[in-house]
Amino acid sequence: MERANASRLVKAGSTTPTAEASHANPNSAERWNPEQALREQKYALDQHAIVATTDVQGTITYVNDKFCAISKYSREELLGQNHRILNSGRHPKEFFQQMYGAVANGEVWHDEICNRAKDGSIYWVDTTVVPFLDACGKPRQYMAIRTDVTERKRAEEAREHLAAVVDSSDDAIISKTLDGTIKTWNRGAERVFGYSPSEAVGKPMLMLIPPERTSEESDILACIRRGESVEHFETVRVRKDGRKIDISATISPIRDGRGAIVGVSKIARDISQRRADEREISNLNERLEQRVLERTAELAAANHELEAFTYSVSHDLRAPLRHIGGFSRILIEDFGPEMAPTARQHLARIADGVHRMGLLVDELLNLARVGRHALNLQATSLNMVVEEVVKLLQPEAEGRAVDWKIASLPSTECDPILIKQVFQNLLANALKFTRPRERAIIEISSRQENGQVIIAVRDNGVGFNMKYSDKLFGVFQRLHRAEDFEGTGIGLATVHRIIHKHGGRVWAEAEPDKGATFYLTLADAGTVELNASEIANQTASAGASV
Amino acid sequence: MNSSEVDILLVDDSQDDVDLTLHALRAENLANHVFIARDGEEALDFLFCSGPHSGRSFDRPPKLVLLDLKMPKVDGMQVLRRIKGDERTRSIPVVLMTSSREERDMVSGYDLGVNSYLQKPVDFDEFRKMVKLLGLYWLVTNRPPLTNSRPAAAGQAK
Repeated sequence: MERANASRLVKAGSTTPTAEASHANPNSAERWNPEQALREQKYALDQHAIVATTDVQGTITYVNDKFCAISKYSREELLGQNHRILNSGRHPKEFFQQMYGAVANGEVWHDEICNRAKDGSIYWVDTTVVPFLDACGKPRQYMAIRTDVTERKRAEEAREHLAAVVDSSDDAIISKTLDGTIKTWNRGAERVFGYSPSEAVGKPMLMLIPPERTSEESDILACIRRGESVEHFETVRVRKDGRKIDISATISPIRDGRGAIVGVSKIARDISQRRADEREISNLNERLEQRVLERTAELAAANHELEAFTYSVSHDLRAPLRHIGGFSRILIEDFGPEMAPTARQHLARIADGVHRMGLLVDELLNLARVGRHALNLQATSLNMVVEEVVKLLQPEAEGRAVDWKIASLPSTECDPILIKQVFQNLLANALKFTRPRERAIIEISSRQENGQVIIAVRDNGVGFNMKYSDKLFGVFQRLHRAEDFEGTGIGLATVHRIIHKHGGRVWAEAEPDKGATFYLTLADAGTVELNASEIANQTASAGASV
Repeated sequence: MNSSEVDILLVDDSQDDVDLTLHALRAENLANHVFIARDGEEALDFLFCSGPHSGRSFDRPPKLVLLDLKMPKVDGMQVLRRIKGDERTRSIPVVLMTSSREERDMVSGYDLGVNSYLQKPVDFDEFRKMVKLLGLYWLVTNRPPLTNSRPAAAGQAK
């Protein structure tokens, strides 16, 4: 088979008049053997090229081994087939028309053809088609000699692909030589810097660098020469129109196939907007901080004023009160016997009013003091606090049947002085509002819920309507008439303030005539936060004690 | 009253307070030798024998100074500072009597060496009880230095 093909080729070749002449070497020392020379040339050709012959209709009449290998067809499958079997469809009809036109005219045709192998894979061959003419000058057969250029074509395609990516990128992608001369310039670069490729390529990169930053270029190039990349380098560059822009650039060495550094690639992004946003955010933050400082100072000043106010309430309101009380007392004592009984009664009422107002002033001052008081947290046994308070309230429970049911309470981190005030208020209330009961029952208990201790103070007193519960902890808010139950309306406000200061919560459940329960939580020490007002308080009192 | 026979120097700018205090002292028969100063300046003149009191002698100090805190011109705290800062007057017992419940007043009062700090109760009965206790204690129970026996050299203000 091989031999048969070879002889056919030789025969075909031998009809070409120039073949013998070009290969004849009359000076050769060896005896010139044209047949052997042809065989050797064919052998050499087969080592390099893909060779086939077709008749004028395109029917394959000969293929060499390389043809079979690349097309993945066997010789038997190819011989007798039209060459179109390998058509990949990648070339337009005109492409082949042009080729057949040329070779039919006896011209040698040369181009790159994309073919399809038996398994569907695509390959590229650099092709020369040589027509062989008969005696009348008409083509007798065509011989195609091809070289596999698939790899090169793929590389070219990839490069084109890459070029398209580079071109469509929003970022500026620039390459430059190691001495800083711009070599390529994509559309992103044009948009970011304003120069067209023709204006930029061949120019020094320095033209983009503001004068005060020119040293950056030599630093960058030094890095690149050492084989290092510079990543996310944020700097300032100048556009063609002179406007300065903030950019973030990544600069890397370009290496040739052997790894030698031959150039520099730079990918730069315009971050002016981001920078402007960042500056705006930082400005806003500064303004916010400034405002917080101002507000804190205002708050401190307000607290200071409040302190001065409570001081003057303490001194200036109590003094006239004492005078009214004192002189009305002297009146009763020194002139009482001469007075009409109603006059004496009026004076007694004055004394009563003075007494109540004295309590009011004292409790208001106490409430104000709670606000100023810095928390002094200590591990505190709530049972001990409650027992102390119960003892303190003993005079008020005198002559009454009171069941104190005090459960085991936990020890907790709190300010013992303030917490004592809380229980003093809550237990005094419980005692007060159970007064109509034959037997008062006052229970103090605790339970754990979601990792938090809830303390409950329950009484079987007159209770209240829950629809007024929002008023319960307000200053001067009272849910009972003064004739029924005395009080200033400040006690629960004080409780609320103290619990709040501890980071806890206080609430109540009640029903008219069915008693009331007050619940409270105390945040543990870790969650007690100093809020701005407390800090302001502390500064205010620190300032005041100087 | 002879200013050299003063038992109590009552320093208070409020006539009402003065009257009530005197009323309470009178009931205990303690009001016979009271000198009243209506502000801090007058009190200092009296105690330091200056101005209208230049004729007085350091040898006969009052047995007790009842001092109000809030007063015009020179306030109680300044008077206290002068008394306790001067060797000639340091041993005179001073009781601050005030309406204020301010802890900081109490603290600075004791820091300056006050002998007692009392808050005037709003309730007149309690006020009276307090004045009675006070007067009896400092004028009857307590043993004051009879005369100021310090040498003249030490008489200079420090």
